[in-house]
Amino acid sequence: MKKKMTQLLALALSAGMLAGCGSTAATTGTEQQSSNEEAETATKDATDKDTSKSSGEKTVIEYWHCNAETQGGLTVDELVKNFNESNDHIEVVAKYNPDMYKGLMQNLQAETATGNTPALVQIGWAFVDYFSNNFAYVSPQDAIDTYDAEDKTFLTDNFLPNILDLAVNSSGEQVGIPYSLSTPVLYVNTDLLSEAGVENTEPATWEEVQEIAAQVKENTGKYGLYVQEPEDFWAQQALIESAGGKLLTQTGDNTYEATFASEEGIHAMQTYADMVADGSALHIGWEEGAQSFVDGNCAMLYTTIARRAYVQENAKFNAISVKSPEWEGQTRQVPAGGCFLAITAQDKDQIAAAWEFEKYLYSVESMAAWTKGTGYVPPRKDVADAENGLKDFLAENTMMTPAIEQMEDVVKWTAWPGDAGLTAEQTLLDMRDQILGGEVSAEEGMTKAQDDINALLPQ
Amino acid sequence: MKKKLKEKEGLLGYLFLIPSLLAFCIFMFYPMLDTIYLSFFDWNLVKPTKTFVGLSNYITLFTDPNTLKILKNTLLYIAILLVFNLIVPYILSFILSVIIKKGQGFYKAVFFLPSVISLVVGSILYTWILNPVSGPVAIIAKHFGITMPIWSQTEGWVIVVLCIITSWKAFGYNFIVILAGVSGVSQDVIEAARLDGVPMIKIFKDMIIPMSSATGIYVLIYTIVQGLQFVYTPIKVITQGGPNYASSNLIYKSYHEAFTLYRTGMSAATSVLTVAIFMVLLILEFKFVEKGVYYEN
Repeated sequence: MKKKMTQLLALALSAGMLAGCGSTAATTGTEQQSSNEEAETATKDATDKDTSKSSGEKTVIEYWHCNAETQGGLTVDELVKNFNESNDHIEVVAKYNPDMYKGLMQNLQAETATGNTPALVQIGWAFVDYFSNNFAYVSPQDAIDTYDAEDKTFLTDNFLPNILDLAVNSSGEQVGIPYSLSTPVLYVNTDLLSEAGVENTEPATWEEVQEIAAQVKENTGKYGLYVQEPEDFWAQQALIESAGGKLLTQTGDNTYEATFASEEGIHAMQTYADMVADGSALHIGWEEGAQSFVDGNCAMLYTTIARRAYVQENAKFNAISVKSPEWEGQTRQVPAGGCFLAITAQDKDQIAAAWEFEKYLYSVESMAAWTKGTGYVPPRKDVADAENGLKDFLAENTMMTPAIEQMEDVVKWTAWPGDAGLTAEQTLLDMRDQILGGEVSAEEGMTKAQDDINALLPQ
Repeated sequence: MKKKLKEKEGLLGYLFLIPSLLAFCIFMFYPMLDTIYLSFFDWNLVKPTKTFVGLSNYITLFTDPNTLKILKNTLLYIAILLVFNLIVPYILSFILSVIIKKGQGFYKAVFFLPSVISLVVGSILYTWILNPVSGPVAIIAKHFGITMPIWSQTEGWVIVVLCIITSWKAFGYNFIVILAGVSGVSQDVIEAARLDGVPMIKIFKDMIIPMSSATGIYVLIYTIVQGLQFVYTPIKVITQGGPNYASSNLIYKSYHEAFTLYRTGMSAATSVLTVAIFMVLLILEFKFVEKGVYYEN
């Protein structure tokens, strides 16, 4: 008995240790430290590479990304490997940066301070201004003009203008080229809808969604809708801006005003809050909400297309996805998630090599591999229909189609300008909690949050 | 001669203290002083310059209605954790060492098991187990006609559930320590009392607690201090302080200000407030509780 107990304890102990390796959330201090260390090793590596470059002939460039192994990291490695094998003069070294785009930005800051820079980096949409204000970069059109003069119209030929616009900063410069793109879509459990006697399984407007959710609640007792609630306002931005509201309006050269507490914005949030109040929509954390959908306890899930694989793998019912709904009489506005690629290389060889590699990443084949590996929507035109692109893949994965079809409705994910940007974002999250928790009405909550944010913004 | 030797020994003693003093200075006193210094500045962790703002961080802290809410939450966390992690294991230890003496080894192992598992893993597991819509607990409760509240979005409930998750981790250690203390109470005295027909509740209240109070006071302080730090993990993983600060405590607020909003000054001010509160608690403890503690040696 005793022996068994000791064995059990030993087993648990080792399990605990293993688990300890994965526990990053609780140890911010050490995390910070380790990312600094990582940046340091990256620097060392870079210096090593420089020496190896003078002895060998290849130009060695670094590509910094945020894709962990489970989030497309394997595809990054595969793409880099293929590129390195297909040419004889450039060697790309891919470097993973933990803690997403914010982590990469911090490492880049440390690296720049030491006088080194990687050649190509992934920059999250929200950092367009921060990045372009604080770091030296080469605009993609400049790189093309200098090193690829035959293909001068590469950008306009291959990208939709509204997509290119995502990587333009507030002074109107094209900082980089969109690379990873995700938009919100509505996943629908059609089995549950049939059970509730709903015939329309592809709601196109929020009004229809509201009606269906109420029917589901009434006829099955289950929840009708869950709108994702992570620590960002992304999905709620889609809701408000599709209703005709606007989170942030530029009023002058460098002046901005929060404008979400408009009639349209308030209508959108109040409708959503009413659904939560009458029990037809669910107000809960992101993980729990997504679980409730795949468990069949919630009929519709409004979340990012990047969650497609999760829904496909876990749902034991017939699940489809439809385009982000519109409000009656308004047009759809979906904010972009993901990142763009920017060239941070400084000397000529490095810039030329960085552009060559970047262009390879935007080829139809590479883009298709990227979509398959990550679930992001290809930002480039023609990838969806090309034989060597995603044609077969999309025929099988119809859940992807709505996200590709709503590409022309993509808008910027609102980045709050100025030093208090993060505080402004937090104010919105607090407002969301207050409104959905029923503490205040949408009008009261939004007006107050708008005033608070306007006090923070540069006017 | 003798005096000199004594002096020498005294010096040697201080010499031996140096390593630990050094560690304390580098990892405790210096950061604490730096925190106090930072609390007078406005700085976002990356800017090359810090702006001196005087007491403005403290003024913001004390005028923000959320601070009061967070203070109340902190006290509620302490109160609930004291029940789960001090009173319950005390009673359980008493039962196991005085009333039922069988299977101590089994209970020790079972209660201690969760202590070796990472709280991050535990928190993620509990998010699934306690999912109020589709988790196993919710499904079982439904059979009995009980609808689980959506606890992660409900004020009050959220703190209770986070405390349960934290207790799952902290309970085992506290239980083992208290059990050792309670088992250390002389069996003869208890036997004598039992023969005299003293009721169990009296044995517990008037004999066990005073005689094991040295352990008890340790676990009391440990529960308050460590409990608040342990609670940080499920807050960070599950609620991020929400809904609308209803599950935030002082320690999470410090973290949130520094690493989510990058307002190190506000974070430092919160930390200073936290240290001040705990210092008052410790002084009270030394003044009123420590006197009554019974140390065997």
